[in-house]
Amino acid sequence: MSRAPSNILDRPLGGRGRGSNSSTEAAVSQSAFAYLYSELVQYHQSRVASISELERRLESSGYGIGLKVLELLSYRSKESKRETRLMNVLQFVSANVWKSLFGKPADSLERSIDHADEFMIVDYEPLTSTYVSVPSDLGQLSVDAFLSGIVAGVLDGAGFSARVTAHSVTLEEGETSYGSSNSSLPPRRDKAVFLVKFSPEVLKRDTGLER
Amino acid sequence: MSKSTAAANGHSLWQKMPKANAELFALTYGTLVTELVRDYESTEDINEQLEKMGYSIGVRCVDEFLAKADQAGMVIPPCRAFAETAEVMAKTGFRMFLGVSAEVQMISDSSFSLLIYENPLSLFVELPSDPKWKDLKYSNLYCGILRGSLEQVNLRVECTFVKDVLQGDDVNEIRVDLKEVLVDGAGEEYQEE
Repeated sequence: MSRAPSNILDRPLGGRGRGSNSSTEAAVSQSAFAYLYSELVQYHQSRVASISELERRLESSGYGIGLKVLELLSYRSKESKRETRLMNVLQFVSANVWKSLFGKPADSLERSIDHADEFMIVDYEPLTSTYVSVPSDLGQLSVDAFLSGIVAGVLDGAGFSARVTAHSVTLEEGETSYGSSNSSLPPRRDKAVFLVKFSPEVLKRDTGLER
Repeated sequence: MSKSTAAANGHSLWQKMPKANAELFALTYGTLVTELVRDYESTEDINEQLEKMGYSIGVRCVDEFLAKADQAGMVIPPCRAFAETAEVMAKTGFRMFLGVSAEVQMISDSSFSLLIYENPLSLFVELPSDPKWKDLKYSNLYCGILRGSLEQVNLRVECTFVKDVLQGDDVNEIRVDLKEVLVDGAGEEYQEE
């Protein structure tokens, strides 16, 4: 059995040209991720004074991951051209990035009616907040800020700078989280909405490309 | 509990656990370590922080382990010797949470070495060759987890990283020494009855 090359840059990244990678993908249990993530949140919580600062720290933690995820996915995908159009990059995030990180594409991608530069990615059961309960004195905190950091990293890395924020929106009547993988937990009452607000120059560039 | 039962239990518990992407897991851990490196000066402090975090995880995960095993109809009998504890931990516990098995090498009746060949925490990781990082125990989280979980089952242990793949060795080795078998706190007053 040959030893793995000692230089990390020479080691295979896997996935290239192997088609669908879901069966061969390395996995850990969700609990392991949940424990680790809770330690990350606790670590930051002990060092900040306000909710918004905690969210900001979580976002900046996720940002670095987003950049690396973009690189990994681009390398492994069969497409050889990078996305240059806004809608395509959003599709990439909500379908490919979500599928690779969480095993399923995001539940929906919507465009805001009031603002042309705002889009929303909806996830009914984001991994980061599935095992987290927010006490009432931390009211509006959304621990999915980590995920919004990841999205921001991916978008920024792809050349579409954006501000991404995570919000917990109560589920409307009739909306249910379909295919919940973990049925032993009580059903969630809210969904996570990631609001993506692009910078003005990104929009200008995109409309310019339309011609 | 025989070795093969522990391994079989581990495998079947692993099948039942909902899964998460290992790369996301590794990247998240990397982010955590990076933050610690930014916030602390010395590598001992970083190692200590990682161990503390691991301890808090360990305290919680042993409950999950026993509960899920019970739910799956498995019987995990009280271990009669430290060697059994080691096997259950390495084959069942590690497998259930991380999907990888570890190996046990008994050194004496009260200490063993845990060998981890595939470390999900250090996917994509390389440490810089600066001598300052020679003492960084990147995966020190495991030491805390082992200490925390064993303490919940009344075994006080000390865990240290002996060999680390990231530092150039060929395997990750954690040395676990049993210091004391704790007794349940409320025991003494009632024992006379």
